[in-house]
Amino acid sequence: MNELPQQLVNGLLLGSMYGLVAIGYTMVYGIVQLINFAHGEIFMTGAFGALTVYLYILPDGTSMLIALPLMLIGAMVVSVTVAVGAERFAYRPLRGAPRLAPLITAIGLSLALQQAVWAWYPGAKSKISFPQIDGGPFHIGSVTIQTGDIFLLIAAPISMAILAFFVMRTRTGRGMQATAQDPDTAKLMGINTDRIIVVAFALGALFAAVGAVANGLKYGDIDFRMGFILGLKAFTAAVLGGIGNIYGAMIGGVVLGVAETLATAFIADVPGLDKLGSQSWADVWAFILLILVLLFRPQGLLGERVADRA
Amino acid sequence: MELSGAGPVEPGEGTHAWETPDGPRPSARPRGPLARRYDRHRRAVHSALAALVVLAGGGYLYATRPQPERPPATPPPYPSQVVDITYLEPVPSPGNAPTSSFSFAVLLSVESGPSVTVTRIAQPYPGLSVTSAPAAPFQTKADSARKITITMRVTECGKAPWNAGLPFLDVTLRNTRAIQVHSFILGQRYAQHLSDALQVACSNDSA
Amino acid sequence: MRQRSLIAITAALAAGALTLTACGSRDDDGGGSDSGNGGGGTTVVIGVDAPLTGDLSALGLGIKNSVDLAAKTANKDNYVEGIKFEIEALDDQGQPSVGQQNATKLVANDDVLGVVGPLNSSVGESMQKVFDTAKLVEVSPANTNPALTQGVDWQTKKVRPYKSYFRTATTDAIQGPFAAQYVYNDSKKKKVFVIDDKKTYGAGLAATFSEEFKKLGGKVVGTEHINPDTKDFNAVATKVKNSGADVVYYGGEYPQAGPLSKQIKAAGAKIPLVGGDGIYSADFIKLAGASGTGDLATSVGAPVEELPSAKEFVANYKAAGYKEAYEAYGGYSYDSAWAIIEAVKKVVEDNDGKLPDDARAKVVDAMQNVSFDGVTGKVSFDEFGDATNKQLTVYAVENGAWKSVKSGTYTG
Repeated sequence: MNELPQQLVNGLLLGSMYGLVAIGYTMVYGIVQLINFAHGEIFMTGAFGALTVYLYILPDGTSMLIALPLMLIGAMVVSVTVAVGAERFAYRPLRGAPRLAPLITAIGLSLALQQAVWAWYPGAKSKISFPQIDGGPFHIGSVTIQTGDIFLLIAAPISMAILAFFVMRTRTGRGMQATAQDPDTAKLMGINTDRIIVVAFALGALFAAVGAVANGLKYGDIDFRMGFILGLKAFTAAVLGGIGNIYGAMIGGVVLGVAETLATAFIADVPGLDKLGSQSWADVWAFILLILVLLFRPQGLLGERVADRA
Repeated sequence: MELSGAGPVEPGEGTHAWETPDGPRPSARPRGPLARRYDRHRRAVHSALAALVVLAGGGYLYATRPQPERPPATPPPYPSQVVDITYLEPVPSPGNAPTSSFSFAVLLSVESGPSVTVTRIAQPYPGLSVTSAPAAPFQTKADSARKITITMRVTECGKAPWNAGLPFLDVTLRNTRAIQVHSFILGQRYAQHLSDALQVACSNDSA
Repeated sequence: MRQRSLIAITAALAAGALTLTACGSRDDDGGGSDSGNGGGGTTVVIGVDAPLTGDLSALGLGIKNSVDLAAKTANKDNYVEGIKFEIEALDDQGQPSVGQQNATKLVANDDVLGVVGPLNSSVGESMQKVFDTAKLVEVSPANTNPALTQGVDWQTKKVRPYKSYFRTATTDAIQGPFAAQYVYNDSKKKKVFVIDDKKTYGAGLAATFSEEFKKLGGKVVGTEHINPDTKDFNAVATKVKNSGADVVYYGGEYPQAGPLSKQIKAAGAKIPLVGGDGIYSADFIKLAGASGTGDLATSVGAPVEELPSAKEFVANYKAAGYKEAYEAYGGYSYDSAWAIIEAVKKVVEDNDGKLPDDARAKVVDAMQNVSFDGVTGKVSFDEFGDATNKQLTVYAVENGAWKSVKSGTYTG
């Protein structure tokens, strides 16, 4: 039995999830140079938004085929609202302030959002189960794909394609590129940078919402802390892929996910490393990879050279 | 509009009288004597009904109230909760036992409740069979203890638990309450002695 | 404008911080609310330390409520003349560092004469010394790691590290082997994949299980240590499937065990997952989902329905109207609290009905000789501070609930 194909798929799925969340980090950083540490919580609130739609808005027993798109919309509405609200009330007032101020604000916001969900969402003090798609797993050769993963497998590439189209072809997208390159000049050229920044936050939140629904379907339950670790991983993925580059975020996510999975699966078989091979060491190996990549390509896998800024 | 504390001058929505005086009165229909009596004693009937409802509700609540912790008679305890089996020492096997066997003495005591019958003594390991003296089933009264000799015969050395850390006996216990299979883990001394005895028995066997 | 926003942010941050601290101090009003017959006597506080928030809160809240019930019962019956019991419950979030802070806090309160808790062995480790230095008695209803009472070298030489530490739960030195025997002899599984979470409890339990399983002739076909912070165990699940194991043993707690069981089965390995008392919770069944049927757990103590004393506890617990279930350790928590009450009673009675000045040290001494019929059977402690009553039960998931399949008593 060859384990490799299955483990690669496991890694790919995990990585796509990281990638979807990483896009939010990378877009916001690319435009305002802010590491939005509350992004993991924007992801988390999205999952609760989807659950709210399912539990409290849709009638009982709605088919998942109908429910899923509505849940996705619910997740997006909540995530975008939280993200735009955070931008408007927490980050915009600090735009001229030293770098550290918005960063600390982001951390505070992250805690506040977690605690708010913990305190006020009914039943959120422990894990809440998330609706599942019925149907058995699919087998392709020796590889098994769970029903819940199909959504992720389809949604991740489609989202990427839409994002690429948006950034490359639309006016707003080009405005984003311009603002990323030089905000002051962009402003002089008549671009409403305030609006562009809001759009960046909203777009990141949209992807986080897709990731949140995928996460709920994949693992079957959600909780108020689900965004914390995933957010850290996604941020790592964004750095690995080159922060500021949207394709890099996705690639970085996939590389990180595959690296973690393969480390869990195969390091223990390497002679002499059997003590360092379990899942508890997977993060260590993933970060060794990150350090190696940053040693040779400080700008990340697909990152642009960090020239005159920062 | 001024807030005066009085009710609305004109009936608001939903506050109009239920029986509109100029509507078609149902009383056009001749009313039976019962209904007429009801009309006369409306207040009394209402209060009687209310009293009934209160009584019924109270009775229901009373009947279904959480029972105080006093079951009419405490059922006897489960046998596994009153029986204790402790390991004593290895003893020589009874004369009629086959050569590849060895024996241990254990003490079975019953703390309280009705007498407990041991219907079966077994042990879960393949490669060993077990008999007891006195042979099961046997009964033991409360507040008493008896010494039991467990004789084990090795049926297959390869499958015997050479090195079990905490081997146990599965004892089927029965009293008036229940029949239960309970495991008695006899501790490290028993483990050691069992392991030693197996070594001896199996070396005899192969020799 | 600027100014106002800053104030708003600070307020938001403060609110967040407050909510956080609120987690730690959201204790109940204690147990004395309905006493009324203590005659204005002395108040003795029983401290409680358990995870009251977070993943393990189901177990932790069960512990807190059960201790509260014990205190209330003692007050109602005026069990110790002139003494009114109250509880002070602190939240350790399952983290050793927080547990240690809580221990310091409890020691500082002079009214605290005994502490029930914690849940996690790793937290227990961090608290022992603090309590021992203060000669404050600690009774854990749930710590099962053998080293806590018998020293780190318990397998070769048993030495009791702390005189003030007691526990009512059975240790993993018995629990692991008991599970191994059941899996090997009764379930007839010969190839196990052993997984743990690297914590004191999980790793210790997995080790005692593996050792006995190998001794019996079984084979460990793979080992894995998971990262408790993640919930993606797919890589591990694939490994389990490819190892050809016919059973998985998991040393750890239900927040990870549930998803792990689910993902292993989803990966195509339809084999049972077996764990210890840490997974014996209704939440495990919820997290593991329908595919968890047939999973096994060993837990400390006999099944509740077999003990008349436990039935009474269950009824009283219900009557007291606690929101959360008493869970796996309810009976042991009640007994732990009651052991403290008994010890206090002894100390008070030996001192003409008053608390002596060195009450804490006296309570520690009295605890060693405590003996009473508790919820879980006879409660008393051996020379290491371990419970003398050592019962274990194997439970299986059946129709969405835990059902007892076999019980054992350690009489060595």
